[in-house]
Amino acid sequence: MSFAEPAALPVAASAPPRLQILNRLSHRFKTSLPAYLLLLPSLVFLALFTYGAMGRVLVDALYQRATPRAPVRFVGLDNIAAVLADPAFTGAVVNNLVYAVGTAVPSIGLALLFALALSRTNAVTSVLRAALFLPVLIPMVAASALFLFIFLPNVGLLDYYIGSLLPVLPNWLGDSDIALYAIMVITIWKNAGYYMLFFLAGLQAVPEDVMEAAHLDGAGPYQRLRHIILPELKPTFLFVTVIATLNAVTQVDHVFVMTKGGPSNATNLVLFYVYQQAVEHYDIGKASAATLLTLAALMGLTALSFRTMANREGGS
Amino acid sequence: MLFSRRLMLGLAIAGTLASALTFPALAEGPTEIDLFFPVPVDGKLARDMGTLIKEFNETHPAIKATAVYTGSYDDTLIKTRASIKAGKPPAAVIMSANFLLDMQIENELTNLDPLIAADGTTKEQFLGQFFPALQGNAVINRSVYGVPFHNSTPLLYINADKAKDAGLDPSKPPQTWAELTDWAKKLTKREGDKVTQWGIAIPCAYDYCGWMMETLTMTNGGRYYNEEFGGEVYYDTPSMLGALTWWNDLVTKHKVHPPGATPGPAVSTSFISGNAAMMMLSTGSLTYVRDNAKFAYKVAFIPRNVRNAVPIGGASLIVPAGQEADKQKAAWTLIKWMTSPEKSGWWSRATGYFAPNMAAYKTPDMVEFLNKNPDAKTAVEQLDVAKPWFATYKTVPVRKTLEDEVMLVLNGKKQPKEALVAAQKAADETLKPYNAETSLKLP
Repeated sequence: MSFAEPAALPVAASAPPRLQILNRLSHRFKTSLPAYLLLLPSLVFLALFTYGAMGRVLVDALYQRATPRAPVRFVGLDNIAAVLADPAFTGAVVNNLVYAVGTAVPSIGLALLFALALSRTNAVTSVLRAALFLPVLIPMVAASALFLFIFLPNVGLLDYYIGSLLPVLPNWLGDSDIALYAIMVITIWKNAGYYMLFFLAGLQAVPEDVMEAAHLDGAGPYQRLRHIILPELKPTFLFVTVIATLNAVTQVDHVFVMTKGGPSNATNLVLFYVYQQAVEHYDIGKASAATLLTLAALMGLTALSFRTMANREGGS
Repeated sequence: MLFSRRLMLGLAIAGTLASALTFPALAEGPTEIDLFFPVPVDGKLARDMGTLIKEFNETHPAIKATAVYTGSYDDTLIKTRASIKAGKPPAAVIMSANFLLDMQIENELTNLDPLIAADGTTKEQFLGQFFPALQGNAVINRSVYGVPFHNSTPLLYINADKAKDAGLDPSKPPQTWAELTDWAKKLTKREGDKVTQWGIAIPCAYDYCGWMMETLTMTNGGRYYNEEFGGEVYYDTPSMLGALTWWNDLVTKHKVHPPGATPGPAVSTSFISGNAAMMMLSTGSLTYVRDNAKFAYKVAFIPRNVRNAVPIGGASLIVPAGQEADKQKAAWTLIKWMTSPEKSGWWSRATGYFAPNMAAYKTPDMVEFLNKNPDAKTAVEQLDVAKPWFATYKTVPVRKTLEDEVMLVLNGKKQPKEALVAAQKAADETLKPYNAETSLKLP
């Protein structure tokens, strides 16, 4: 039974329409009261730690100080305009786009490849799956500290193994042309195993009978992949793409540990920019404005993808 | 911000209420104070701090101090600011020495003059205990805001074995830029285009890069910033242009310095592994090098082009604003104890920083230590030519404008002159609000 579903309403036909609505509303409220009561504890915490903070960000984004000792005053959308005009912010957005595409596409591709290769369960594939999943279990900060050592110019593990193949040894994290790609490698290494799990789950849902039928009809492995497996995996692709994009914006631990956004802002991502404004510049107004812009973009993206997903569910 | 200020305010009010209720019970007990401390080098420092505070509490029954580990220098600033906003600041903080001016501008520091006066000493007598080079970062507008706790200067580290192999005499280290360039050329080894051993490495990551630029500019006769006023930096000047051009020449012209921006830990690892024959690094790395180098090494002053001069680094003890009077007094007792000659010397030997209190070097333990480790003596001797660490309004962003441009130069993307012009422009922009209410606020 459901609390939220009101019982049939025994309303007198002669009552004025306005009262009728009020009656209905109060009745509705009464019947759904237990539901709200049950939700209350989580609502309190959401209000305290999520909506309260978001509201505060919204307010902070509208205020600014003119000079260091001046009181804060209402400035409307000035902070947002200042953020949009800041080359460091636009640079961070561009970096973040490159980073999002450059990490999502390869990690999803690899994840699919791993999942296809390891879709049958036996002792060997179980071990391999565990091995590929291992990077997910390592905290990003620890992984970054490890890679800091691997990327050390001249003396790191990477140069030790491939150094003799290269004409000049690059400064992996210190060269502004290479640093962002070095950071991306870590993200791909870390996330591919995670996304593999979703594809493994998706592959279980591919109907066995359809596959067998295709096999009997003489469809080769490529044709089966192209016409049966990939179409069946479409919802998984959509979901993993959303997760990967969100990760690209929210996971910046390695930037903190390895480059602090440098050299020369080459690895500065949007979330790190927000941190810099809040902590280094001590400019809460601009930091809040940049947070709002990021939140808006993320919410737009999430809403869009969920609608696409809902449409698909409804359509099929 | 990660959490709402209103929430923190709420918690603070709740905390105040709670403490108000329990106050009668505590009135008889010791004054409880917190000390925020960062660990900029390695984990061992946290243990040493525990030992120090335990000893303080045993010898001062009226005070109960608790040491709270707060991460890096930057994290410590964040946490101190958050707790001031919440109305519950710690009684004392070990704060990076170049953050003091910015905090004073934001009204976040307690002026220590009244506490010094209450002891019956003068400011001059109090400051006189410390090396003169350290006073610039502790005094703002002629008032004392910080007490030097542990400090460092940059040093030139030389792999003595490699120097001998190259026919150089490590007992006569390079004293000028010309000599250093010559040494670096002789110490660089190549296989075709590939360099297998670099002559010298100078760190450049955010924080370190600005410090090294100040070092090179000072040895070239210049100044990084206006020591008397937090609204000016001198990036687009001949002395800094010479400094950056020389650094760039080491990379692109002489090819004796690795290209790109290399952080401090990568530089020290490179030196320890023998990949770089010389490096410029903080005295704070001396203990690390002493413990890890498998070769004979030598430390020397930073070579000069115009004069010998280096900036200081390190941290001072501060009392955040908004502290109750009795806790302020307790914090002051703790601060004086921690910076006394004996404790200062003990901390110096445990960590590798030098002791700011000059009398520390007259204690028998310290005399013995220096005889055993003459390299630590070089660091102290260089203090004679040391000067304050740059500190301006918004020190970190102002420093970053220069560092971003220096990194572009070291990566071959810009020429020194255009880089410094761009850095000056960006820094002036950041300093503008402060100048608007100080130097440019006219009657």
